[in-house]
Amino acid sequence: MPACGSWSWGRRSAGPSGLGGPTNREDPALSGNGRYLASLVERGGRRTVLLQEQPSGRELPLPELRRFQPHRSPSLSWNGRYLALLVQQGGRHLAVIQDRATGRLHRLPLGGDRELERLSLAPDGRRLALELVSQGRSRLELLDLTPLLEPDLPATPLSGGGPLR
Amino acid sequence: MNRRHAAVRTAALTVVLTVPLAGCLGPMPQPLPGLNSRLEAIGSSRSPALAGRWLALIGGRDGREQVQLVDLERQLPVPLPGLNRPDAQPIAVSVDAAGERLALVRHLEGRTELVLYRRGLMALEPIAMQPPGVPRRVNLRADGRELAVEVSRGGVWQVDLIQVP
Repeated sequence: MPACGSWSWGRRSAGPSGLGGPTNREDPALSGNGRYLASLVERGGRRTVLLQEQPSGRELPLPELRRFQPHRSPSLSWNGRYLALLVQQGGRHLAVIQDRATGRLHRLPLGGDRELERLSLAPDGRRLALELVSQGRSRLELLDLTPLLEPDLPATPLSGGGPLR
Repeated sequence: MNRRHAAVRTAALTVVLTVPLAGCLGPMPQPLPGLNSRLEAIGSSRSPALAGRWLALIGGRDGREQVQLVDLERQLPVPLPGLNRPDAQPIAVSVDAAGERLALVRHLEGRTELVLYRRGLMALEPIAMQPPGVPRRVNLRADGRELAVEVSRGGVWQVDLIQVP
């Protein structure tokens, strides 16, 4: 099919964050099936991840993450079971993965003096990509999460997107 | 007899003491050395996005950055004809699990734009911000049907959800 100018884009705003007034909402991440949206909002002066069901906007509580603000770089798995993000604990940045099925918070300690900048969780939960900065240079590192997490797979497998072993 | 009972008690105690400790330490995620050294060879790299067997990133040498799509199974980048331009500065990228669609925010000719690239068609389609705004970070749903983009409007960051036809 010819690819110019013929597509129509259905669009909407992500809707209210329940905070009242015009507030910043940043760094969105959708679950693979589109049911959940994570984004960052200011709460009590601290950047906090907000997890909402779509399209209702209903907020899902994340009590395990409350102590670790500011939050950065949220990323969701296929069905929204896992929420990975960067948090702060005692002045150190840390990657964590919240398992919403069990309530467990996995902390991923990283050695060295490298600063964590961003992360991306593979939708199936098998891998995590980290952007690390050291000596002014950024680079990526991949981690195998299969010893840690059960996979979170789509209800209907997609062609070409098969899981990796 | 007594000695055997004592041995059994000692063994039982050992199990009781070590099992919870092992539970605390837990299984740890492992780095993927083969892939990580491949990524190191790209030079500086940032803005990772994982989906299926794909890793999208912004990387390059000597300050010349490009969008790259790495097939993690074959551990090789795949060509993206028509996506990168020498006069464009990529800002953020995201890929779907099929490796077919990439959403990209880039700075080109004095403006910042969101574009959708379809690999099968080698076609690039701009997505206008409505109401007008400046896009920054973008996240494509793993099934490729919708994207979430952070948009600055009147000094406030908002999140737009856009269906991908």
